[in-house]
Amino acid sequence: MMLIPRAADLLSGEPAFPVRLPPLLVTPTAAHLFMFSAATWNRHHIHYSAQAARAEGHGDVVVHRGLIGNYLARMLTNWLGNRGEIRSLSWKVVRSAGPGRPLRCEGEVVSQEVHHPHRRLQCELRVVDAEHNLIAQGAAGLELEVHG
Amino acid sequence: MLQTQTPMPVLPESLRALIGVRKTRQCLVTARDIKRFAQAIGAPSPSDSDEALLAPALFCQTMTFEDLPIEALPADGSPAELDLPLPAQRVVGGGSEYVINRRVRAGEVITVVSRLKDVVPRQGKSGLLYLLVVETGFTDQKGCPVATEVATYIKRP
Repeated sequence: MMLIPRAADLLSGEPAFPVRLPPLLVTPTAAHLFMFSAATWNRHHIHYSAQAARAEGHGDVVVHRGLIGNYLARMLTNWLGNRGEIRSLSWKVVRSAGPGRPLRCEGEVVSQEVHHPHRRLQCELRVVDAEHNLIAQGAAGLELEVHG
Repeated sequence: MLQTQTPMPVLPESLRALIGVRKTRQCLVTARDIKRFAQAIGAPSPSDSDEALLAPALFCQTMTFEDLPIEALPADGSPAELDLPLPAQRVVGGGSEYVINRRVRAGEVITVVSRLKDVVPRQGKSGLLYLLVVETGFTDQKGCPVATEVATYIKRP
């Protein structure tokens, strides 16, 4: 499967779909979780107290559903640059992630439709951990400007 | 072979009365909010010189939950929106579906309308659980939609 480094490169040819998106590697720390809780005013104890999280059946404090979605959004935004926008993004967390563990966001553009002056791209997305366990899966709709 | 299904519990009237009730509030978006959110998700932090700071795609997450004091939250600190009369206490985020009409800019006042859309009992691997579906709409000062989120939370005994 072809990797297209930037969304703008998609416009210079007619690639065969699916095309791979450059992955985003992140390792959320407890500090990142703390900052995300503060920014979203989410005070649920499973995101800051390991003791409370374990009492509820988790292995450690839990990376927020919302933060995982933002990692997918960052991957897409990095790829789009200033040539497009995310128009829809959905994701479902299937396994808890914890701090200090690397996550890999990856995905593909699976189809496109031309709606002048834009191209609408559909993407399939995943977040996996270092052991290749699926953490989340999702989909996105992107709007790419043909003339930047 | 004929399989029997465990009957799903009937939701109490006190809970059904909460489904569909809309709550509205307004939020002023500041450049500081945007910078802090960008830093929290590990995105490049916008500089002060950026004209009318443009927020990251999912910035509306910062306005999803009400600004309540901690005394008004359940004992586990989970969002008050999920504090429902159910025989289930443990909650965890399940998934989100965002429609993003446009990104938010610093200085805007966003109207947030949220409602409990549905509560769905489901038989999980470890017993009965409830899917709580919360819809939140974000509109600008002209009444134009900025984003909509349908979030699903999972609540277990």
